[in-house]
Amino acid sequence: MTWINAALRVGFDIVLAPFSGMPDMVGLAVVALVCSIGMLWVFKRTSNQDALAAIKSQIHAGLFEIRLFNDDLPAIFRAQTQILKANARYLWHTLPPMLWIIVPFFFVVAQLQFHYGFAGLAPGDSAILTVRLSEGAEELGKEGKPSAALELPAGLVVEVGPVWAPALREMSWRIGAEKFGDYRAAVTFGDDEIEKSVVVNEEITRLSPNRVAKGFLAELIYPAEPPFETTEGIESVEITYPDREVNFFGWRTHWLIAFFILTIGFAFLLRTPMGVTI
Amino acid sequence: MALMKSKSRDGLARMVALAAISTALASLALSCAKAPPEKQVIVLGFDGMDYEFTRRLMRQGRMPNFSKVAAVGVFGPLATSVPPQSPVAWSDFMTGMDSGGHGIFDFVHRDPDTMQPYLSTSKTEGSERAIEIGKYKFPLAGGEVKLLRHGTPFWELLEDNGVESHIYRMPANFPPSGSATIELSGMGTPDILGTPGTFSFYTSDIFVNERQISGGEIHALDFWDNRAEGRLSGPENPFLRRRQKLSVDFTLHVDPEAPVAKLVVGDEQRILAVGEWSDWVPIEFEMIPTQVLPAMGRFYLKSLRPEVELYVSPLQIDPMNPALPISTPENFSKKLARRTGRFYTQGMPEDTKALTGGIFSHEEFLRQAKITGDEILDQYEFVLDDFDGGLLFYYFGNLDLISHMMFRSTDPGHPAYDPERDPENLKVIEATYEAFDRIVGYTLDNMPENAKLVVMSDHGFASWRRSFHLNNWLIENGYMVVKNPDKVGGTNIYSNVDWSRTRAYGLGLNGLYLNIEGRESKGIVPASERDELIAEISRKLLAEIDPKTGEPAVTRMYELEETYEGPYLGIGPDLQVGYNKGTRCSFQSAIGDLTDEVISDNMDEWSGDHCMDHTKVPGILLTNRELVRPARSLKELGGSILAEFGIGWSETAAGG
Repeated sequence: MTWINAALRVGFDIVLAPFSGMPDMVGLAVVALVCSIGMLWVFKRTSNQDALAAIKSQIHAGLFEIRLFNDDLPAIFRAQTQILKANARYLWHTLPPMLWIIVPFFFVVAQLQFHYGFAGLAPGDSAILTVRLSEGAEELGKEGKPSAALELPAGLVVEVGPVWAPALREMSWRIGAEKFGDYRAAVTFGDDEIEKSVVVNEEITRLSPNRVAKGFLAELIYPAEPPFETTEGIESVEITYPDREVNFFGWRTHWLIAFFILTIGFAFLLRTPMGVTI
Repeated sequence: MALMKSKSRDGLARMVALAAISTALASLALSCAKAPPEKQVIVLGFDGMDYEFTRRLMRQGRMPNFSKVAAVGVFGPLATSVPPQSPVAWSDFMTGMDSGGHGIFDFVHRDPDTMQPYLSTSKTEGSERAIEIGKYKFPLAGGEVKLLRHGTPFWELLEDNGVESHIYRMPANFPPSGSATIELSGMGTPDILGTPGTFSFYTSDIFVNERQISGGEIHALDFWDNRAEGRLSGPENPFLRRRQKLSVDFTLHVDPEAPVAKLVVGDEQRILAVGEWSDWVPIEFEMIPTQVLPAMGRFYLKSLRPEVELYVSPLQIDPMNPALPISTPENFSKKLARRTGRFYTQGMPEDTKALTGGIFSHEEFLRQAKITGDEILDQYEFVLDDFDGGLLFYYFGNLDLISHMMFRSTDPGHPAYDPERDPENLKVIEATYEAFDRIVGYTLDNMPENAKLVVMSDHGFASWRRSFHLNNWLIENGYMVVKNPDKVGGTNIYSNVDWSRTRAYGLGLNGLYLNIEGRESKGIVPASERDELIAEISRKLLAEIDPKTGEPAVTRMYELEETYEGPYLGIGPDLQVGYNKGTRCSFQSAIGDLTDEVISDNMDEWSGDHCMDHTKVPGILLTNRELVRPARSLKELGGSILAEFGIGWSETAAGG
């Protein structure tokens, strides 16, 4: 998982780097276009195109039958039954390509979420940096407040903290951004020394709200930053970035909605030139 | 094939021609829309700016921008409304009519059927029809918020004549009239509970009882193991058949050593040190699994040791997702919040109740007032930058509420004057006037070159030394009779009043009503005796001498029909009492409560006021050039602004 994420991070950073200063939709549209082409290509090769074409013809025939015999109730019911059966067969035939598509699509969406789902801090903004201990590591806090230190580079300051919340197994600081930059905050917690990226930037760039300890599931969900090794049972180091909305032709919305609309739109436009039956 | 090509070429040519024409028309429309109008008028509404106080600071050279403008334009007193209360005054200004025309006579009116007070400017009504399934009910239509102010606001006439108007925080304009290009509602906008503002104060002190106080609620915090848990209260859940309030739990994780804590509300978290304010925290009340009520609040961590004390601002309508209409167009509040951050949407955000309730110290109140003032100022810079013509009205309310809380500092003769603290408070008021002077300076530097600047206030201010308990005066003079004479003091909203023998009652800050047969549900005064009774009460009140000062307590009485004209006289009080400068109706009497005395010293933190004889508390008018049509009063000023654009009041408006 670690190596796959590392490769994907580099790949997406390179692909999206030219669009970082441009409007949100430019990079998103390019990725959506590439995804549409990729999905159509996979769909064509992993589906039974002849069967799909035949099923679609049957559906069309059923619709035509309803239109032609609209005064013949038994014929309409018969046609509708045929359409439903054809639809079920259609879904069955699209299952294999969907299974092929879903895994790479998940990785793409996960990477895009960390480019388009969050906004970087702006100078003057505050954010909360939290070290979370894994379950069972509460011993650290048994004797009172565990010793922890946060070292910040110039450009970031500690505003308040740390606050030890034993019930949450969390140690938190409120930090402030003073100027633009791509920073590394260093947290010392017991024997662990962990760095965490903190980005003060208005452009579209990869943001990691959560750096996690090594582990398949955690890395799958939070691929935006390399995992760390821990001896103190630290689960993650988090920072609160604000959510980002993208401007989709004047409509400010979550990037995923815009991305799905674009991907589906491109796929419909390209299916004929690419000779794909969907 | 050739034909097809030819056809498609024709079609292409037509499309190109059409596109060219469309583009040209669009460009023309765009250029017309973008062209700045010939006239640009900026009106700054400084609520509560006092004429005498301003003049004194100008003479001392402490308001240089005012002096600069006055030197080339006009500066003078602006006659206020009857009575000089903000909702009345601003309604006079915007409609050009008096209370008889716009229907606002006071902050509160009374329902003659129930004798209960209600807010005069707006009314919220839930949906009457609903489908009930199990414990749920599903309204078939949305609720409605009604603006109770009548009349045509002057900007509607501007819009009718093609002049854009941008109206920010005009009082008595909630919900927004919908007739301006841009509107943001101001005074009169409720918090999420539908009240003028109800704060919450949470404490871990086990000896403090949970209770409601004026303008706030005190709650207990469950505190153990460095964790305090509380519950934010929302309005009633409209989706439940049984009346049940919405609520959201929050947790405060208190650091075992340092004076800091982590606040967790829903998905939101904040870290606060003692003495710090949070930014706006979005809060969602879940009504049913698919529906939430969005709100927001600011948290102030007052103390962690020995007791945890947390103040939560009145929960506001969230401008990013407003539960009630607060702007025109409806999404404008979201646009503004995106540009300048979330902001207080409640009408009068300065939390005077937290100060009078003993939750805030003076310093804490000033800090909170500064937060509200800074938000409004930040937005003004954005708004002025965006203004490219027509009318811009922008309201600043900070001075009014600071003056209410600190004006005794201008008056060493005030019974609660504190020689230690009040000289500092006087500096606060003066600094606020100076800050408003800088707003004028900023406007002069940043407004369009030929724009006309109008700075106005709705009323002035006076030290409020003496409280007049009008209902007790009515008892003493035989106009009001109580059921239990041994329990006159400490009763609330007429609970001890014997209506079968009561001929007059006081409600609101200046209002006095007669208990008229056929009008009030338990009325006893025949309509034929009304004029005589009005004259009698007026004469007696004007003769009332304050035993402490030896001066009249009342200097002017306003009879309904002689003072006002218009279709809404039926709502208004039969008499408005014009108290002498320095005297005001007590808070108790204003809502129908009784006390033990008729006139008493005002020892409340609320030490400045203006609900007196209207001739004694004029506002100000400052313009950078002569107005085309000079205005001497608020009622005339709306017409003067219209005249700047060459427009007159319509026949439906009584103004002018």
